[in-house]
Amino acid sequence: MFGNFSERAILHIDGDAFFASCEQSRDPRLRGKPVITGKERGIAASMSYEAKARGVTRGMSLFEIKKLCPDAVIMPSDYETYGLLSKRLFSIVRRYTPAVEEYGIDECFADITGLRRTFRTSYSDIALKIKKNIDNELGFTFSVGLAPTKVLAKIGSKWKKPSGFTVINSRDVDSYLVNWPVEKLWGIGLQTTAFLNKHGIFSSLDFKDKDMLWLKNNLAKPQIEIWQELHGQSAIGINTEAKTSYASIQKFKTFTPPSSDRAFIFSQLSKNIENVCMKARRYSLATDKFMIYLRTQNFHDVGLEFVLEQPTSFPNEVISLAACIFDKLFISDRLYRTTGVVMLNLRDDNIIQPNLFRKNNIQKFLDLYQSFDSVRRKYGKHTLFLGSSFMANKFAQHLGSRGDIPIRHAEMFKGETSRKRLNIPMFMGEVT
Amino acid sequence: MDKYQEYFSKIRSFYEKNKRMPSYSEILKITGLKSKNAVFKIVQKLDEAGLVIKDSTGKLIPGSGFGGVRLLGYVEAGFPSPAEEELIDTMTLDEYLIRNRDATFMLKIKGDSMCEAGIMPGDMVLVERGCQAREGDIVVAEVDKAWTIKFLKKKNGMLYLQPGNAKYKPIYPKDELNIAAVVRAVVRKY
Repeated sequence: MFGNFSERAILHIDGDAFFASCEQSRDPRLRGKPVITGKERGIAASMSYEAKARGVTRGMSLFEIKKLCPDAVIMPSDYETYGLLSKRLFSIVRRYTPAVEEYGIDECFADITGLRRTFRTSYSDIALKIKKNIDNELGFTFSVGLAPTKVLAKIGSKWKKPSGFTVINSRDVDSYLVNWPVEKLWGIGLQTTAFLNKHGIFSSLDFKDKDMLWLKNNLAKPQIEIWQELHGQSAIGINTEAKTSYASIQKFKTFTPPSSDRAFIFSQLSKNIENVCMKARRYSLATDKFMIYLRTQNFHDVGLEFVLEQPTSFPNEVISLAACIFDKLFISDRLYRTTGVVMLNLRDDNIIQPNLFRKNNIQKFLDLYQSFDSVRRKYGKHTLFLGSSFMANKFAQHLGSRGDIPIRHAEMFKGETSRKRLNIPMFMGEVT
Repeated sequence: MDKYQEYFSKIRSFYEKNKRMPSYSEILKITGLKSKNAVFKIVQKLDEAGLVIKDSTGKLIPGSGFGGVRLLGYVEAGFPSPAEEELIDTMTLDEYLIRNRDATFMLKIKGDSMCEAGIMPGDMVLVERGCQAREGDIVVAEVDKAWTIKFLKKKNGMLYLQPGNAKYKPIYPKDELNIAAVVRAVVRKY
């Protein structure tokens, strides 16, 4: 294999039930059990293979899961830990090659072309070594695909799961493609699938066998690139730029019992807006793009995105527009249980140009929030807040108790705070 | 040779000051020599002595004896501050406690089964995953669906877990001993 010198050797590495595996690998009590993360969101974000075997799927509501799988262990997401382990995944792969594309929290591409001499072994041995390192050091398994292109490597990593290791040689690509439906190809969406099906293209091999002329007449550049990649020609490069630290910040808070009180629900949203803004200020970030969400008692979600005139990290500048959007989302006879807000496209707040009409305000806000933040730092988060958040701060978030907070936050060491913890993942459960 | 030493020390001072080797015309200037030809000869001598090296383009780079000479104190400009050099050889507490960052996890001790080994309830323990545990190491093992931290010992070719507290009995695995990680450090903050 890989005899041709122009051919590349691309890896795709994909976590097996990543979030659930993070949880299972650090707490032996969870091993062998159907584990589901996403409790704080009310839906399954990730499920262990035991839970998958019982028919739990991604996005399924917790209510359905409890019916289907009464012994399921449903846990709140601990994104801090998942993030730490994700960074380690990339860092281990980078021991072998700098050409690593962080494609998602639990997956990456890596180009190992030309490393056979350095490691004095074949590409598949290098790939296997990387897999072993990750599996052993993180404590749970990953599936790996090795092929001449990204699209083929992605098929490889999905071919066998969990803990799969699939090498797709250019000479036996077809035997994989014939059994691989075209809609499962990376980058082929619903629209394209419908179009291809209409033209009698169902397997990836059908797609590969089309000629260039037909492609040029019927499809766009991204699909043609996929076709080239199926032919073993690398058309989609590896993007090695590391993801920026905080692309978005979000706060979702559930309150119990559910409520249909407009003022109360808006105050919940207002509190979330204050909290995302505070976090953004802590990291000197700002944005003009926000999203707000409402979730009803029966897990129906509605959300809207909105754009401000200028980027900000001051809630005062967000609340009034958020109130208009809230009015569009809110239906008065419904029971709501969760509000949420997301700040998108975050940027450094010092590069942000003040708007002409805002000039007078910006210094005012800067001064105001400097004191605001220091009061909150000194006397606690709930000592100072906007009037619009009053009702949410007056009552405890949950009138019944429901543990939506990751257990890591309850297991702190001396010197750690709920805001800042050591950046090392922690084993859970009793250690005797 | 005294003459050459003097030239050499001038080249060295230049290097100290500018963090690079001088060009031929710069050597001409700093040595006060009359011609480039004379510079050439000096460089030739220093090259032979291993004090400087000519690279492929003819430019100068410090030779193996270049730094060694410095340590002998040739330069009247004085010693470089030893404090700064020593700083390179220090490490952070992180580096001291952690061997392989990507594989390091922490845990909180609950019981007192290792108290005679100095591991107390509430202590933070740094452990490393994915490395080979050796006899005598303190390890984290999975026993009956729980973590336990014990000495790894061997008797008649059989591995078992030895508590660091006389009140507890050793644990002999029924079938396979499942070792998750090896203890690298204990941290206690007061």
